[in-house]
Amino acid sequence: MNLFRSEEHVARWLNRRGAGATIPVTVLAELAQAWWHDRLAPDWRPHTRDQNQAILDRIGLTGEFWRLP
Amino acid sequence: MDEGDIALRNVTYRRFVELGRAPTADEVGEWDAAAVEQGWRRLHDAHALVLQPGTVELRMANPFSATPTAYRVHADGRWWFANCAWDAFGICAALHVDGRIESTCPDCGEPIAIEVLDGKPDDETLLFHCLLPAAQWWDDIVFT
Repeated sequence: MNLFRSEEHVARWLNRRGAGATIPVTVLAELAQAWWHDRLAPDWRPHTRDQNQAILDRIGLTGEFWRLP
Repeated sequence: MDEGDIALRNVTYRRFVELGRAPTADEVGEWDAAAVEQGWRRLHDAHALVLQPGTVELRMANPFSATPTAYRVHADGRWWFANCAWDAFGICAALHVDGRIESTCPDCGEPIAIEVLDGKPDDETLLFHCLLPAAQWWDDIVFT
């Protein structure tokens, strides 16, 4: 799960490996905010699988690649 | 994950932030070290934290990393290591502060530095690549 300067850099780094998913850093920042904001809350409770999936869906990360087990 | 393990998890995270590093089992405070280690094993199995393979030492209290990584984050007056780019933003989100992320492009090795203000990156041109589909993230979380 890395940051790259451009699509060209991603493609070169992947070389012959199968590509995963590439998203703008702005979407990553939004995802991180939703996913991690409560991690240090004194009353933190574990997220359910469906809660986490709802975060991905809400941000537009849909489709099989982003489907949690 | 029962209520006792959730409480242990929350104290572990609090101590991580207070210390600026991963606590050892005898630094968690409210339990004896053996009880902490047993609880950490259960939390590892529940994906609530990650232990170093073959040990009861913390490897990840996601988004924080207990070991050096390619993603350094300056936030809340300290430098932290994040497990990946996602977690680097996650450290600012978890601490509810602005921050600075420093890394390098895995392709060209050029430095990458991002100021995070109100949860948003100052450089919006960068891209995030996730190699594995979500269904495989926890197959090998260190690799992920």
